[in-house]
Amino acid sequence: MRLLVVEDDLAIREFLNRGLTEAGYRVDVAPNAKSALALANEEVYDGFIVDLGLPDMDGLDVIGRCRAQGHTAPVLILSARRSVDERVRGLEQGGDDYLTKPFALAELLARIRNLLRHSAPAQSEPTCLRIADLELDLIRRDARRGDELLQLTAQEFALLEYLVRNAGRVVTRTMILDRVWRMRIDPATNVVDVQIYRLRNKVDGEGKRPLIHTIRGVGYVLKEN
Amino acid sequence: MFLRKTKSQGRSAAWRIAIWPTVAFALGSAIAFAIMYLLIAKDIRQRSDAWLSGEAEVLADVSENTPRDALYDRLVQEVAELASREVPDTSDAYGRHQASVFFLKTEPRQEPIWVGPTPKELFIPAVTSMPLVPGVPANVRVQGWKKAFRVVYHAQKDGGGLYLGFADLGGAQMLDRLTVRCLLVWGATVALGFLITWLAAYRTLTRVERISDTVSRIGSEDLSSRLPEGPHSDEISRLSRTFNRMLDRVQSSVHQMRILTDSVAHDLKSPVTSVRGSLEVALSDGHEGRWQEYVAEAIDGLDRLSQLLNTTLDLAEADAGALQTRKEPVELSELVRQLVDLYQPAMAERGHEVATHLQPALIEADPSLLNRTIANLLDNEIAHLPPGCRITISVSAKEGEAELTVEDNGPGFPPGISSRAFERFVKGPHSAGHGLGLAFVDAVVKAHGGRVEIADRDAVGALIRLTLGEVVGEKVSR
Repeated sequence: MRLLVVEDDLAIREFLNRGLTEAGYRVDVAPNAKSALALANEEVYDGFIVDLGLPDMDGLDVIGRCRAQGHTAPVLILSARRSVDERVRGLEQGGDDYLTKPFALAELLARIRNLLRHSAPAQSEPTCLRIADLELDLIRRDARRGDELLQLTAQEFALLEYLVRNAGRVVTRTMILDRVWRMRIDPATNVVDVQIYRLRNKVDGEGKRPLIHTIRGVGYVLKEN
Repeated sequence: MFLRKTKSQGRSAAWRIAIWPTVAFALGSAIAFAIMYLLIAKDIRQRSDAWLSGEAEVLADVSENTPRDALYDRLVQEVAELASREVPDTSDAYGRHQASVFFLKTEPRQEPIWVGPTPKELFIPAVTSMPLVPGVPANVRVQGWKKAFRVVYHAQKDGGGLYLGFADLGGAQMLDRLTVRCLLVWGATVALGFLITWLAAYRTLTRVERISDTVSRIGSEDLSSRLPEGPHSDEISRLSRTFNRMLDRVQSSVHQMRILTDSVAHDLKSPVTSVRGSLEVALSDGHEGRWQEYVAEAIDGLDRLSQLLNTTLDLAEADAGALQTRKEPVELSELVRQLVDLYQPAMAERGHEVATHLQPALIEADPSLLNRTIANLLDNEIAHLPPGCRITISVSAKEGEAELTVEDNGPGFPPGISSRAFERFVKGPHSAGHGLGLAFVDAVVKAHGGRVEIADRDAVGALIRLTLGEVVGEKVSR
C-alpha cells in the first residue's frame, strides 16, 4: 500500500514517515501543495494524508484538486483546528476522515487502515470472531472463553468486540470512546481504564492466559501471549 | 511633541469650523447692505430728478415768456440764481461751500447765459456736446467734479437750448456716510460672529482633545485612566461615557487574558518539567530495562498537556463568541444514561453509590459539546469526592425547560469558591485540575441559551443544576 503524506512541519512529516513505514506502508512525503500535486500526478497512491495548514495553499484546495483530477483514493485530513465546522467542511471537500493534532500514532494507523479497508471491495461480514480460546458470536451477541459463557453487559460486549476486531493492534482510549461509546470526549479521569479493568476481570479471569494487555502511555491491545 | 501637535490640530479644526459660517454670514450681510444702498441711492436720484425737471420747466417757461429786452439776460440769470439757492446743502466733504447747480442758456449768435460754478469753460462744451433728450434728466461728467451732474435740457423757440444741471452732493455725502457706517457695522458683526463661532468650536474641540490625550496616554501607559465625563449630557459627554465603558470592558478582558496566560504558563510548566524529566531518566544509563515505563510516563504527561491546551482553546473560542454549535434534537436523558454507563464503574471503584432519576426531556443541542460538558461534571465528581459518597443524577422536564442536576453528599465546594466557580482557573486549594472544567460547562450551556447554577449545601454536599430549553412541540407529537 502506497501513501502520500502532505505536511509542512518537518518533525511531524518525519514521524509520520517513520511510523507509517514501520507499519508496512510505502510512504512518499511532500512538504507543500505544489510538490504534492506533482507527485499525485506521477504516481498512483492508495491513500493521502493531508495537513490543512500548508504554506502555499489550503489543504482543502489540494484535496479539491486531487478529486478534480480523478484521484479517488481515500484522504485523511490532519488539522490543528478543532472546530466542528472545520471538520464538516473538510469532509464535504472530499476528505474521508479527520484527525486533529495532537494525535496518537496508533489512532492514525487505525484510521488509515479503516479508510483503506473501506475503499477495498467489501468482504462478507463474519458472524463469529475468534482469537485463542475466546469466541464472540455476533448474532447472539454472547462471548465464550473456552467452554465458559462470559457474563457481559451489552456495553462490555461492544468493547470486547472492538478489541477483538482490532486484535494485535493497539487502540487508544480516545479510539475506544469514539468507536464503542460513540463519544468524542476526553475524560480527565480513568473511566476507560476502569471499563477495561472490569472487562479484563471477566475475560482474563484467574488461571486463564491474559488476552487484554495494557500498553502504557498508548492504550490497549488484545492479543495472544 | 505629540501633545503639541494635537493641540495645534485642534486649533486649526476650530478655525476651519468657524471660517465657513463666517464667510457665509459676511456674504449674506454684504448682499443685504448692497441692496439697501442701491435702493437708497435710487430714491435720492429720483427726488433730485423730480426737483430738476420741475425747476427746468419753470426756467424754460420764464425764458420763453420773458420779453427780449435789455434786461432779459439779467432777469433770466436772477431767476436761475434764485432757483439754485433752493438746493439745501451744498457744502463739500471739507465743509467748503460749493455751488452744485448750474444754469445754461445758449442762444444762436449770442453769448450764452451762465449761472453756476466757474470756470464755465469746463462745463459748456461738456454739456452742449451731449446728445440730450429734451425733458429727460441724464448724467453728464464734468472734468474736476467727482460727482456726475444730472442735466435736463429744454429746446427753445429761438433755436437755443436751456440746460439745468445739478450735482446732488448732499445725497452723495449721505450715501458715503451710510456706506462707511455700514462697512464698520458689517466688519464688526462679521468679526464678532467669527469670534463666537471659533470660541464655541474651540471649547468643544478642547474637550475632544482632552479625550484624545487621555486615550493616547491609555494606549501607551495603563488601562486604569478614565475620561472626565463632566456635568453635561451632550454628545461629547456621551462619547466620554462610551469610551469609559469600552475601557472598562477592555481592561477587564485584558485582566482576564493576563490571568489566563499566567495560569496557562504556570500549568504548562509542571507537565513540561515532568515530561522532560521522564525522558532524561529514560535516556540515562542504568535504566535499560525500564525505559519504556519512563517514556509512558512522558506520554501521560503530554496527554495532560494537550487536554489543557484543548480546554483552553475551547474556552478562548467561547469567549470570542465563536463556540460553534451544531444543534439537533437530543434526548437528554438518553445522553446522560450513556455517560453514566461509562462513568458508573469508575465511580463504583471509588466506593460511590450512583443513583439516577431520568425522565424524558427532548432538547435542541450540540450532542458532542453536551457530551463533553456532562463528562466534565462527572469527572469533577470523581476528582473531588472522598470515597464512599452518594451521587444522584437526575433529568427532568417542566414548563418548557429541561433540567439536569448532579448532586452529592460530599464536602461541598471549598469556602469562597461557589460564587466564582465558573470563572477560569478558579479551583479549590486541593484540586488537581486546572480550574477550567466548570468554566467550560458554563460557556457551553450559555451557548445553548441555558444557565448553570451551583448550590453549596454545606455539610450535605454540592449540587450543580443545568437548565436548558426543552423542545415542547416535538415532545407532544412523540
